[in-house]
Amino acid sequence: MTQMLKRKKSIFRKIQENRKIQSALTFILPVLFGILFLILWQCGAINSLLHTDTFTLPLPSRINSILSQNIVKIMGNVKATVTVAISGLFLGSLIGYGIAVFASVCPRWGKGGLSIVAACNAIPIVALAPVMTNWTRTFSKNAEIRSMAAKILVVMIVCIANMSINAYRGLTEIKPYSEDMMAMYAAKPGVILRKLRIPNSVPYIFTALRVAVPSSVISAVVSEYFAEYVTGVGRQIRENIVQSQYSTAWAYIVAACLIGITLYAILLILESILLKKRV
Amino acid sequence: MNRLLNKKWFSVVFWTLILVVAWETGAFLVAGTKRTPENILPHLYQIIGAAFSTNKVTSDQTALQIVLINAGQTLLRAAIGFLLGTVLGFGLALLMKLSGIVEKIVFPYLMLIQMIPILGMAPIILSITGSINTSRIIIAAILTFYPVATNTLAGFNSVEKEKHELMYIYAANKFTVYTKLLIPGSVPYFFTGLKISAPMAITASILVDTLQGDGGLGCMLSQSLKHAMSIYVFWLIIFFSAFIGIFSSYLMGVLELLFTPQKHAERKKEGK
Amino acid sequence: MNELEEKRNQEENKNVEIRIKDVDMTFQDNRGNEVKALAGINLDIFKGEFISMLGPSGCGKTTLLRMIADLLEPTDGSIRVSGMTPKEIRMQQKFGFVFQQPVLFDWRTVRKNIELPMEIMYYTKADKKQRADEMLEMVGLTDFAEHYPKQLSGGMQQRVNIARAFGGRPEILLMDEPFSALDEFTKEKLHEDLLRIWKQTNKTIVFVTHNIQEAIFLSDRVCVLSPHPGRLSAVIDIDLPRPRTQKMKETLHFSELYGKIRNSFEGGSI
Repeated sequence: MTQMLKRKKSIFRKIQENRKIQSALTFILPVLFGILFLILWQCGAINSLLHTDTFTLPLPSRINSILSQNIVKIMGNVKATVTVAISGLFLGSLIGYGIAVFASVCPRWGKGGLSIVAACNAIPIVALAPVMTNWTRTFSKNAEIRSMAAKILVVMIVCIANMSINAYRGLTEIKPYSEDMMAMYAAKPGVILRKLRIPNSVPYIFTALRVAVPSSVISAVVSEYFAEYVTGVGRQIRENIVQSQYSTAWAYIVAACLIGITLYAILLILESILLKKRV
Repeated sequence: MNRLLNKKWFSVVFWTLILVVAWETGAFLVAGTKRTPENILPHLYQIIGAAFSTNKVTSDQTALQIVLINAGQTLLRAAIGFLLGTVLGFGLALLMKLSGIVEKIVFPYLMLIQMIPILGMAPIILSITGSINTSRIIIAAILTFYPVATNTLAGFNSVEKEKHELMYIYAANKFTVYTKLLIPGSVPYFFTGLKISAPMAITASILVDTLQGDGGLGCMLSQSLKHAMSIYVFWLIIFFSAFIGIFSSYLMGVLELLFTPQKHAERKKEGK
Repeated sequence: MNELEEKRNQEENKNVEIRIKDVDMTFQDNRGNEVKALAGINLDIFKGEFISMLGPSGCGKTTLLRMIADLLEPTDGSIRVSGMTPKEIRMQQKFGFVFQQPVLFDWRTVRKNIELPMEIMYYTKADKKQRADEMLEMVGLTDFAEHYPKQLSGGMQQRVNIARAFGGRPEILLMDEPFSALDEFTKEKLHEDLLRIWKQTNKTIVFVTHNIQEAIFLSDRVCVLSPHPGRLSAVIDIDLPRPRTQKMKETLHFSELYGKIRNSFEGGSI
């Protein structure tokens, strides 16, 4: 009756509970799946699945060759898109953060402004882009610079909305009693800002950036459609499709994906370095 | 004065007024220096005037009619794509929670989707499907799908350990745990996803319109831009889409209150 | 003599609800070191008794409770409840567990929260309503039946927690420091409520706490656990008469029990 209670675990259970195996699987499984997908694609299985010909949906090998052949031109466009994305991201985040600081220091005036900025988040980019293009018409005589300005403005507005909301949360959602503790030392608002609110908001900045980085790339790409000057990865995709050069278009799509992935990876690395101490 | 300052809406009204003043000032400046000021920054009253005027802008429609009729088309497709994306996103989140294998495989690709400029893929998807309606729906669905899936999954994972243990003590089966705990517990997160994706679905639909000219807001937008019709159509569409984007997000918020009666109650308590 | 002893043993055996024998519990902490949470625990818990597990943090009392509830498995030894394993009893839905936190579902009203175990046990609609009404009455929250958890104070939430645990008609009620987050005044009231409910239902209660006074006031027996490794230092009979009153806390006997418990505790601080 009173047997030893050493349970026998099934192999399945053991795999589930072994931490090392689980971490390894987190890497292995998606990679395997990706390789499988590429193989299927190369064999034409995806094409038959979607009932498309290899003209509109070229095989990976073809895309690869086009990429390597036109690498210089492609990189030129990539540079254009990336410049727009990063400049807009930087400027927008800075301004957005400033708005959030203002709103947190003068809540009565700032909060309404913040709701308006938040509403800007919901404005479709397709509404913003043409307006910006219009507004920058007089900016400079050079069409390239004008378009650049318009595109950066679009990305900037999108990032302002995103960063200000998240930064505001970071500046104001402070653990209870921290503000009381500062009050105990009769700390002036400026000091509280520097020593409590701003450090507290750093993780929230990264939360905002996680959304802002991909969305700045998307905004850059979309604003390229409406810009005057024909440059940038997104525009190239459209131009090539219009000219029925599908393989080149796909090459640019791959380039766009890579831009998004690379920037995001950089962000994650930055985040792990800067937030390492906090845990 | 202080009491006025403290009212919730005061700040919003204040800043709206500042924006309006800034716009009008800009419009005056532009009117003074440009030949065709309406292209860049028309006066707000001019835009409002165009909305209500009965002048026919094309062969048989006023500006307002153009906007509303095309809006109907665009929004319908956006709505269908939105619904599709929501259902798929929710389903995927459920699957990912049920199976660790599925979660591990799908998660990086889910992140990949977010990093890819889907809107940039719009032309390709259009050429694959050949039909502008289908591609509108597909793209809106993909854009909705990601925020809904990730937020819902976060919602599932946010349920505290103790609640799981409570269900365990009563030997609840998996179905019960999902229907009584995980799904209701994920509702706030689910709606966050909806609030984010609703405007995006609309954006997607409008954008696809611009690629091919057979009606829809985006199409009218680009036509108006190229002066095929009055520029005021352009401005009306801009304001309308901005408004609709904001409104759709707000609508999701209202829907959320419907599904979370406890929020009403909590507000009542705070009100006291 | 032998016959008498045998007879008494048999009677005791019939009354033993939970038999904990030679139980060990070893954990692996984050660095892979082995931590012995419990060593060689032997305890018999009788039907219908109110027994407390008393000790400081880290003495393994919550671990022991969780082992009875089948939330954890001992690395050695056995636990039998009415002759069956904890898992079997749990599958028969005979446990009630009161957590330290209220663990209420925010999206359910108070009434619906109380009805949760009954839903899992497939009570009929009429049954559920009646039982929920009884429980609400029992904890004095009838007026708050349609409120949501966030609208209630901590003490009230904990009362809902208890009502829910009792609602499912458990054979054994396991309570993990349910009152430790509450103030003294609320605690006293809830103590009296708990004892009153226990008297009505007559079920076995295993109560974990770090408060000596609470343990003495509530229980029939107090098990003192000492840490490093967690072991049973003493099992002390509380022979105060029932029903217990607040006045008893002022008696000499109460202080003697207090002293006895304190002294049987080995190592660490209480």
